[in-house]
Amino acid sequence: MKKRYLVLGLITTAFTSFGQVNQKNYSKKQLSHTDVETVFSYYNQNNDHSAVTGGIGTEDLQVYVTHLSLDNIKDSVRTVHFDLGFDVISSASTDNIDFVLSSASKVDARIYTSLGYSRLLQDKRTTWGMNSSFSIESDYLSWGQSFSINHLSEDQSREFSAALQMYFDDLRWGRYQFDGTRELVYPSELRTTKWFDNYRRNSYNLALGLYQSINRRMALGIYPGLTYQSGLLSTPFHRVYFADNSKQVEKLPGRRLKLPIGIQLNTFIGTRWILRTYYRYYWDDFGISGHTLNLEVPFKASRVLTLTPFVRLYSQNGSDFFKPYAMHAISQEFFTSDYDLSNFKSTATGLGFRYAPYFNKSRTTFKALDLRFTHYERSDGMIANTITLLINYDKEQKPE
Amino acid sequence: MKVNLLKYLLLFFFATALASCQMVKPYQRVYLNDYEMRPGYPGARGFEQYVFTIREGSAGGGGAKTSGGCGCN
Repeated sequence: MKKRYLVLGLITTAFTSFGQVNQKNYSKKQLSHTDVETVFSYYNQNNDHSAVTGGIGTEDLQVYVTHLSLDNIKDSVRTVHFDLGFDVISSASTDNIDFVLSSASKVDARIYTSLGYSRLLQDKRTTWGMNSSFSIESDYLSWGQSFSINHLSEDQSREFSAALQMYFDDLRWGRYQFDGTRELVYPSELRTTKWFDNYRRNSYNLALGLYQSINRRMALGIYPGLTYQSGLLSTPFHRVYFADNSKQVEKLPGRRLKLPIGIQLNTFIGTRWILRTYYRYYWDDFGISGHTLNLEVPFKASRVLTLTPFVRLYSQNGSDFFKPYAMHAISQEFFTSDYDLSNFKSTATGLGFRYAPYFNKSRTTFKALDLRFTHYERSDGMIANTITLLINYDKEQKPE
Repeated sequence: MKVNLLKYLLLFFFATALASCQMVKPYQRVYLNDYEMRPGYPGARGFEQYVFTIREGSAGGGGAKTSGGCGCN
């Protein structure tokens, strides 16, 4: 008898109870989030081959960098990108344009920003994007525009990418002087001659990429590129001293074609070690060719901590237009004493430290802290050091 | 002769690497999806790459942007 009542009670309960209450006002909402990266860098260098003083003189330089990068991921389709950077540059060499030492060194600032948008197409494998950029320094102003497309293969093992970047630069001095002065600045003793009619420099870059998974632990990337520059490619305040003791402003051709190809092979070894290898061959019609080899060995010391020792070797065959101080013949059509365009070898070594706890509090996820130190030596005597701190976190927006 | 040998070695290396490609299923991508396996220059590597493009004649090939820009300090 009791069983009957029990069964009846259970059946009645089963038909009258609901696991979910039907909410008529329910609507699907996308949660957007913003990935934030803040970068602080300090760079210093020194040598005695400044192009401002014709291949002799101090190249002492310090740069302090602050950079903010935001990726606002609206949903699984749309991303808005925003960048803002501010560099303070303390350069002893540019102080020598006038030979009037206004301070221990000349202080300049570089401000740059960019705004971009990318969208995943309906096939869920193709992403297109566009980006506009702006950069200003006392001696140049640059506008940039880029378009990019990425396509992922159906099995996600291969990715093609193509980007077209265009930069339109104006090299006139006086951007931070509000009296309307806009002119190319020459070394003080050479200002009686108007050395250049053109003050614009245009750059067009085509960057291609193929990224292929080789197996579960290995991936290969191939990155060919093509860059064409036209306009004023000389720096108007670089002096050149000739063998006959005369002096002029640096003069380089008005066009330059650059052809780089980079190859990257990344391999995960065991459960803790990764080998990142990169090689690049570079050629341009200034006569420069270069080989770059970069080796990094990230070691995962724990789930959240990675240490990355690295070495970068570079060898450059210099430009046909380069000669050191007072070695140029006056009969030459193009000439420079800028050691960045000379024959040299360089070595960069350093250590990276990455702490990535993915610690979540409220709607904010602290993703990672990167610290990286690089020591750079060039065979012409230049020594430089860079230290960079990157803080990365993610902020989820409140649903409306 | 030395350059030719290098070319053949590179060609052999890439032909071998591409020919040995295996299908990797989404659940097998744990190593490939690791942060340190990302292509290019992820994380704090960006600024030093920018410096290299200024202090050296070479630029591009998967690295930092190759803007005209100044970089004249």
